[in-house]
Amino acid sequence: MALAAPVAVLVVIGLGAVMSSSSVVAIRGGLDQYAIFERQLLFVAIGIAAMIVTTKIPYQAYARWAPLILMVAIGGLAATQLVGTVRGGSRSWIGIGAFTVQPSEFAKFAVVTYLAAVLARKEGYLGQFSHVALPAIGSLGVVSALVMLQPDLGTTILIVVAAFAVIVASEAPVRHVAALGLASLGGAVFLARAAPYRWQRLTAWFDSTPDILGADLQVHQAQVALGSGGLFGVGLGASRARWSYLPNAHTDFIFAIIGEETGLAGSLTVILFFVFFTVVGAVVAMRASDSFGRLLAIGLVTWLSFQAIVNIGGVVDALPITGVPLPFISVGGSAMIVNLAVVGVLLNIARSGVEPPARRS
Amino acid sequence: MPGRSTPARNLRLVIVLVGILVAWTGLGYRLVGVQALDAARWEASGSAQWVREEALPAVRGTIYDRDGIELAVTVDAVTVVADPSLVTRPRLTARLVAPVVGLKRAELVAKLAADSRFAYVARGISADTADHIERLIERHELTGLSFITEPVRTYPAGTLASQVVGFVMSDTEQGLEGLELVLDEHLTGTPGTQVIERDRFGVPIPQGMYTIEPAVQGADVVLTIDREIQYAAERYLTEALETTGAAAGTVVVQHVATGELLAVASAPGFDPNNRTEISPETVRNRAVADVYEPGSTLKVVTIAAALDEGLVTPSSRFDVPDELLIHDKVYTDTGRTGPEEMTLARIVARSSNIGTIAVQQLLGNRLHHQYLERFGLGESTTSGMPGEAPGQLQPVEQWCSTTCGPSTAIGYRVGVTPLQMAAVFATIANGGVWVQPHIVSEIIPSSGERIVTVPVQRSVISEDTARTMQLMLQGVVDSGTGTRAAVDGYTVGGKTGTTEKWMPEEVRYSATARIASFIGFAPVNDPQVVIAVVLDSPHGDVPGSSPNSLGEYPRFEFGGVSAAPVFASVAEATLHQLGVPPDGS
Repeated sequence: MALAAPVAVLVVIGLGAVMSSSSVVAIRGGLDQYAIFERQLLFVAIGIAAMIVTTKIPYQAYARWAPLILMVAIGGLAATQLVGTVRGGSRSWIGIGAFTVQPSEFAKFAVVTYLAAVLARKEGYLGQFSHVALPAIGSLGVVSALVMLQPDLGTTILIVVAAFAVIVASEAPVRHVAALGLASLGGAVFLARAAPYRWQRLTAWFDSTPDILGADLQVHQAQVALGSGGLFGVGLGASRARWSYLPNAHTDFIFAIIGEETGLAGSLTVILFFVFFTVVGAVVAMRASDSFGRLLAIGLVTWLSFQAIVNIGGVVDALPITGVPLPFISVGGSAMIVNLAVVGVLLNIARSGVEPPARRS
Repeated sequence: MPGRSTPARNLRLVIVLVGILVAWTGLGYRLVGVQALDAARWEASGSAQWVREEALPAVRGTIYDRDGIELAVTVDAVTVVADPSLVTRPRLTARLVAPVVGLKRAELVAKLAADSRFAYVARGISADTADHIERLIERHELTGLSFITEPVRTYPAGTLASQVVGFVMSDTEQGLEGLELVLDEHLTGTPGTQVIERDRFGVPIPQGMYTIEPAVQGADVVLTIDREIQYAAERYLTEALETTGAAAGTVVVQHVATGELLAVASAPGFDPNNRTEISPETVRNRAVADVYEPGSTLKVVTIAAALDEGLVTPSSRFDVPDELLIHDKVYTDTGRTGPEEMTLARIVARSSNIGTIAVQQLLGNRLHHQYLERFGLGESTTSGMPGEAPGQLQPVEQWCSTTCGPSTAIGYRVGVTPLQMAAVFATIANGGVWVQPHIVSEIIPSSGERIVTVPVQRSVISEDTARTMQLMLQGVVDSGTGTRAAVDGYTVGGKTGTTEKWMPEEVRYSATARIASFIGFAPVNDPQVVIAVVLDSPHGDVPGSSPNSLGEYPRFEFGGVSAAPVFASVAEATLHQLGVPPDGS
């Protein structure tokens, strides 16, 4: 249960940050100031329910159902192209009743599961490049292509990096891993060049003279928020940046609001809990009772941790903005439910893992 | 798992973990930079965008008449503004809105299509017009127009006393003319400031800091003007301009005992709410700005001085020829044939130039000049109105020994304002004490002490001399040149004046144009008010009149013909308004 502790802390911090950061957006949208917060609370509840369910499901089942899971994910991504709705320039959502779901969240899980299943099953054949490359390139290629059609470069990168972590952790020879790595990097550069706005974001990030009213507005405002927070913050609920200065303050840039309200102390605390989660997750992988569990665990942990890095990296102006939410914290139903469900899967792997030798006292 | 040990497999996991942890460390390092090392810079940048120091406008003070009726007041009016960047259909918008606000369509299109974020569409519009525009916006779904309230200076009394009150610049409410200009410092107040945190759209942030230094509202000003008397003065003056053909004119009504100016009227005038009529001619406060040669009305100074010095009495007799040659100048009396013996009273009633010159010869230049000065000529009365001229009174050392004294005695060579002359007559009516005429009764700041005007007073002639003068001036109205100034039920004293108009551009007197005046007071037994009427270039025969004994028809050029009736009308209205009991027949 060591894994649940950092997640619980992050979810609670997240709810507090959502309460503050979403209120202005809610009021501007003609809603009650707690409307978005209450909705997020509902998602957390659903996510916890999903986590309890996945904790009970023996993770080996995913290995068996991996191809089906991948098919469902691909079907969902394809559906976004047909019946999806556009938000923030990406066709990533499908409306179901009053809610919208984001199939790309599920696709991350699908790709990691599928690769972990294939690589664990083919452990004996990993010396042959085709056994690594075919499933990797096949599943990654199709999913990445569909996510890029939305278009969503951030999610694509996350999927590729998580898949890459699975491959690294497998028994595949180093040269094959390196070849796939280089291929992925080449693909990423190509995709970045392919769309002008993406290239603009990237060059804006490298540009030494920021355009604080244009391309760099969000990043600039995020630094203003973080800097205003100083060491100990301006106080809970006292953020100024959320008053329409910082766009997406309750979603992709929620970390800036945490930094503003709780200061360096608070923002480093969040980072420490992510690190805590990552380390515990890696330990879960090490103690997994089989190769699938090990690969699945490292893949899932890498996904969530790296997503947090990409998000926070964008907010602190260390990485380009890619538009991925901060796991366990940002407003968003699909992400919250899937993230908590993934924690459940990790908990299940941990539960059936090898117990550490008991210490003698 | 053939050939691999657990530690070897875990090495791969550790590699992944270390990779991730390195990235996390990098972010932590970066955070320290933003939130600790560079924090101050970012915080300053943040404060600069949400902390606003804002001016709180001070409401301009109100100008009241003596009874508290508003003459100039600042109200909140609706103004329509546009954000051109949000106006999606400038042509349609302009076609619909331009006629409502009285703009040309092309003009409005240019405003709405401008590359800016702000433009005035119509300022200070009525509530009805605002409703109309609101309906247009709704029906046609016009975008980019919005309503704000702005302080607007309005003049509820319209043309009434407009040259006295003046007006402000419409954008800034800064005084431009009249009392709005001279009292600007009092009326303006001091703007306050507030420091407030606002969101990106300008809405105050609830838990933000807030400090306020409130504005000090402008002081209110109470004038001595009586709205009813002012109205009567303007009405009869404007009528006189029509009947006599005068180009311009002025009426001053001064309260005798206090020096309060009950009316200061100038015509032609303007409506400060409608600036299109404004020109130097209409804005001119002629009572203080116009300098003219007073003519016969100034004879009262000569006569009063001689009486006060004990040189003459009302019954003193003078042989008055019908022509008098002094040096190179021939003086005549209007309507005279042959020499005549006259009493001083008769000289005054007949307004004899030659008789008055005889009195001046007894008085001498030095004393004459002294009295002119003591009656307040040659210097501004400092009534409080802007643009007040001092007039012209040459130092006695520069007077020639021949014609200077005689010409001055009959009201030439001296430049006066109508207000100065009103004050001269008020001195006679007030038992010999000159009281500073003034327009501001008191200034009432929003906090602190009221500033009440205390007029300067000085004794000029003895009470006996003043009383003698009053009675002689009554004779002018009863049986002299000023009979048209008589008021039913009241005794009236006064003096007519008719002078050739000096043409400064041509450096000569006009052959035809005259300045006609009548200045008088009532009731004679207890003088309450002095009224000065000065008309610029009245002309023509009086319709339906009969000739005098010499066969001369009365002409409007004469003060007794054109100005005296205006005096009578204004005096009647004034005495009724003040509730002065009748004392005559």
